[in-house]
Amino acid sequence: MKKWQQRIGPWLMNHLALPTDVMLELPRITMIGQIHVYIENHKGLIVYSDTELKLKTNKGYIQISGSSFVLKMMLPEEILLEGLITEVKFIPD
Amino acid sequence: MKHIQGSFITGYMTILIKGRNPELFFQFCIDQGITVWNIKKVSENACKGNVKLSDIDILKDIKRRTSYKLTFINKRGLPFLFKQYTRKKEVMVGLLLSIMLIFFLSNIIWEVKIIGVPKDIEEKISEQLTEYGIHQGAWTFTLDPPSEVQQQLVNDVPELLWVGVHQKGTSYVLEGVEKTIVKEEEVQGPRNLVATKKGVIQKMYVSKGLPKVQVNDYVEPGQVLVSGKLNFDDSKEDKKYDLVAAEGEIIAKTWYETEVTIPLEANHELLTGNRESKYHLSINEFELPVWGFSSPDFNDIHRERNERDLYFLKWKLPVKIIETILSEKRYNKIERSKNEAIDIGIQQAKNELQLQLGPDARIVSEKVLHETIENGKVKLILYMAVEENIVKEESIDQGD
Repeated sequence: MKKWQQRIGPWLMNHLALPTDVMLELPRITMIGQIHVYIENHKGLIVYSDTELKLKTNKGYIQISGSSFVLKMMLPEEILLEGLITEVKFIPD
Repeated sequence: MKHIQGSFITGYMTILIKGRNPELFFQFCIDQGITVWNIKKVSENACKGNVKLSDIDILKDIKRRTSYKLTFINKRGLPFLFKQYTRKKEVMVGLLLSIMLIFFLSNIIWEVKIIGVPKDIEEKISEQLTEYGIHQGAWTFTLDPPSEVQQQLVNDVPELLWVGVHQKGTSYVLEGVEKTIVKEEEVQGPRNLVATKKGVIQKMYVSKGLPKVQVNDYVEPGQVLVSGKLNFDDSKEDKKYDLVAAEGEIIAKTWYETEVTIPLEANHELLTGNRESKYHLSINEFELPVWGFSSPDFNDIHRERNERDLYFLKWKLPVKIIETILSEKRYNKIERSKNEAIDIGIQQAKNELQLQLGPDARIVSEKVLHETIENGKVKLILYMAVEENIVKEESIDQGD
């Protein structure tokens, strides 16, 4: 049953041009230069410090590194990070 | 960012979390639906962030369930500012006092203006006003309503024909009209005296002119009673007159027919003189009793309400003082017999006629022409004989 659902997702996406992040429940990351990162659809905060932010997502983790990090806003499934970003990294499970 | 908009108005706090992995505390907050912003890691075991004042209960709840140490390090927003000000008692007392002072001053009469009348009457009016208690520095809500003052003034200052009183905020404006006593216009020059009503002449006093009628003559309205044309010698054929202004008084008997109805039963209310006053503060429709809480111990009550407006500077406040005067009343029921009713009817008709004709007329006799009793009422048709002066002056048109 699950396999069927997983298969129909990419099919719908390709043929009906639906937004990918909604269909596959993947995180949407918006970056403004080096200073802002806006992450939607994440599944929770794992690590946060001055230089590192690690978020859980549907399939693995997102790790953002940099310096002088401030979480400008935190909402369920949304985070706005401010600071000097040097790296965005996907770590699979 | 719209989630944290307006947080200054509702108030927000900066909290400091201490413990292992302090950022996870904020994750708990988010799971509970609390908005958190400006999260900053201060050190390895400390993290600070902003939360709304309205979320404080949920925050304390989370704190109880976890082992973090929570401290409030900063409080911002209007609720805190307000608290800060109210804590300073001197400021609040001063503010309250100044508002009260302005309120009191707004309800004092600062100026009494009298317009439209000459100086001497103005002085008289202002003297009367002082007697009523209307002067500079008087409280507005101890005064009578303008309509009453108006009536009193007209009664007490005979020179006034009319006076308009109105209160404009803190000034009392009186607009007066002086009574100019206009003398009845007398017809100058030669004139006749003619009858105004039909009647039978009873008495004649002619001081000037030639009487054309005699006592016991019946006259019609417009008929010449005393002529201003004097013709001393009848034998003269040529019409040569001496023209004079006729003067005199002709008393004639005139007749009137009037109709009156008098009920056999009459109800009226009498005030016994026992009364109590109550004061209310009314805000829109709501009335708050201020003075006089007990209800009076009489049953039949006549209520009289006086409303007084309160002012703040020039604005009328929505708050009013309402004085209610409760007076005891007594119902009086009168039952009359037919004869009594007739007597009263006659008296009533006489009074009415006298009022209509003026004080000079004299009602000589009255006669009941017809009487019927219908629906508990006596209906009378009366015939009255009156002696009155029927003279009217009319100038002689000299033609050429």
